[in-house]
Amino acid sequence: MIARLLEGMPRAAAVLLALLFALMAAAPLFAGDYLLTVLILILYFAYVGQAWNIMMGFAGQLSLGHALYVGLGAYTAAALFVHFGIGPWIGLAAAVPLCALVGAFVGFLAFRFRVAGVYFAILTIAVAEFARVGFDHLDWTRGSAGLFLPVAQYARNDLWHLRGHPVMFYYILLSATAIAGLGCRALLRSRVGYFWLAIREDEEAARALGIDTFRYKMVAVVISAAMTAFAGVIYAFYYNNLFPEQVFHISRSIEIILGPIVGGIGTLFGPILGAFVLTGLAEMLTGALAALGIDIPGAKQVFYGICLLAVIVALPEGIWPWLSRRLGLGSDKP
Amino acid sequence: MPRQSKTARLTRRAFTAGMGAAGFVAGAAPFGIVRAQTAPLKVGVLLPRSGVQAGIGQDCWRGAEIAGGLLQELGLPPLQLISGDTETNVDVARSRAEKLITDGAQLLIGAFDSGQTTAIAQVAEQKGVPFVINIAAAPQITEQGYKFVFRNFPTAAMILGDAFKNQKEIFAETHAAPKSVVFLHVNDTFGTAMAKGISAVMPKFDMPYKIAEEIAYDPTARDLSVEIAKAKSAGADALLVVSRLNDAILLTREMVKQRWTPTAILSMGPGWYEDQYLKTLGKLSDGPLSFVPWYDPNKPLSKKLEAALAKAYPGINLSTNHVYTFEALLVAADAYKRAGSADPKALAEAIRTTHITNNVSPGPGIMFNAKGQNDKLQLSAIQNRGGKLVTVAPKSAANARVVWPLPPYDKRG
Repeated sequence: MIARLLEGMPRAAAVLLALLFALMAAAPLFAGDYLLTVLILILYFAYVGQAWNIMMGFAGQLSLGHALYVGLGAYTAAALFVHFGIGPWIGLAAAVPLCALVGAFVGFLAFRFRVAGVYFAILTIAVAEFARVGFDHLDWTRGSAGLFLPVAQYARNDLWHLRGHPVMFYYILLSATAIAGLGCRALLRSRVGYFWLAIREDEEAARALGIDTFRYKMVAVVISAAMTAFAGVIYAFYYNNLFPEQVFHISRSIEIILGPIVGGIGTLFGPILGAFVLTGLAEMLTGALAALGIDIPGAKQVFYGICLLAVIVALPEGIWPWLSRRLGLGSDKP
Repeated sequence: MPRQSKTARLTRRAFTAGMGAAGFVAGAAPFGIVRAQTAPLKVGVLLPRSGVQAGIGQDCWRGAEIAGGLLQELGLPPLQLISGDTETNVDVARSRAEKLITDGAQLLIGAFDSGQTTAIAQVAEQKGVPFVINIAAAPQITEQGYKFVFRNFPTAAMILGDAFKNQKEIFAETHAAPKSVVFLHVNDTFGTAMAKGISAVMPKFDMPYKIAEEIAYDPTARDLSVEIAKAKSAGADALLVVSRLNDAILLTREMVKQRWTPTAILSMGPGWYEDQYLKTLGKLSDGPLSFVPWYDPNKPLSKKLEAALAKAYPGINLSTNHVYTFEALLVAADAYKRAGSADPKALAEAIRTTHITNNVSPGPGIMFNAKGQNDKLQLSAIQNRGGKLVTVAPKSAANARVVWPLPPYDKRG
């Protein structure tokens, strides 16, 4: 099946991907705890970046409120765990349909009434903000005081309850990122994927060709929301505390989309590369400033902004399309 | 043989060099031992020094910066501070904690915000590195059974409980109590949490006043004239407020404009006592009472801390941020001295048995219960007076008598 998914991919690209995966799989053997924490962050953003990319990169629908699905997924699984002792995987089974349903609601509101472009983006922000304010007042999830999951020192990793060492979370996120990557490729090569691309390029033309644009845009939103719910569940059980102000905040949505933008919107590997570049760059800047003895709060953000600006100005399509051409891998942007 | 005799022969030059080396080693060894005993404890200071909470994080950092001299004066061993900026972000807080520990931090302090603090606490517990919380009020942090996490800051429940106790003390002293109040609060996360907490806790304290009206407003509001007009028309004696800095300034200006001076302004949050409020409003800033985790101005160490801050940062009043960051470092240095080593377990054990009475915060001193919480801490009631802040309750930590009622705004010159 994997061979079928990799069909059509340049041999060099497949080899490089396999090497990267092997390197990442072996990383906990040589990486210290700090590096492991950074790698977990990278994988988290790589995963949610891919989920967002389905909506924007494939179907052309700009969502600026994806933190909504992270938060809903996180709160659903965490609340079920705290109140009823229901494990996170069963919580996930509740979180995914819930987020898919909310995604469908947002999509229905927008696509039914032809809310598109910037207005669609504003609608996604509005719903996420609505959720933030709502959860601030929802006593069942402890409102603005925050929902805390019980924490203890775990002698062994309990995969069923997602309690244990960060290495466990690392491998879960690595697997999820890899599966998401393969899933995105499968989707892109399917009938739905071609319809999405047609909608992204010219919705009117796609409709004229007989594509049910409403239906396929809804499919994109629902899949993207459902995928993001998984990231939320992992987030909840990794950090063990949730505050509406933090999980639903627009800054979280912006963090999610930065990776794909820098890596390359609409490409398969762009969101992953973007997550590596952004998180890696941030950590390297921190290290470099510390090594130089510079202790100016906010200096990192200024450098970070300059670097991002440079990437966006020099490589408006993102880093991956340029890099893949340089490496002779061809573009994976359909 | 000749070679053997050559190597075995001791020349004058070799002897001199050998003696020199021996002398150097002998001379240096004691210093080495001394160095090992007084080598500074590496303390990772995790604070939100950039991002939304940057101002507060930098204020806390000032408290850390002025600590060195005072700790030395107290005969405590030196600390080497390693700064970690959490960027007001939970993810970053966790990775910074990991980084500081990787960089050799033997103890962590921080991190002002409950979410960031919880993320750091998990890392500290996992690594077995002691973590002394400077500011974070979520009760759950010390309810997790952590062995390496300690908090010298009141929980949300302690804050509310003490606030009502201090109000009652003031009412008893002045023989005057408002019969009704208008409760004005921001509708952000903090304001909403406080509003709920006040509603839940107030009935237990049998307060003399009733809440005539509750008015919530947006923290980004640029005009609060309608809110003040509503509060004024409610006919209540006093204002009970939970606000931030900007809206505290706006509310005061509106009261002046609308010629309304309530009997008292009772603030249960930030804003009304902050330097910017005092500087912006001048004489109009006098009078509001704030119920906050503060310091005991009568304690000798408080006076020294005030002097140290005034010297390093003229014009900045000593506040919660400085006090509790300083005390977190005081706990660290004291534990290091008693533990006699930087071994994390020995440090954690020493922190657990902390008993510091020469401290800054109100109450009997710094000591931790089985959960790692200092439950002996007391809150203060402070009042703005001529650009300064005085403590009016509890009596044990007061340095002034309360001015009651609030002087009318139109008679302040």
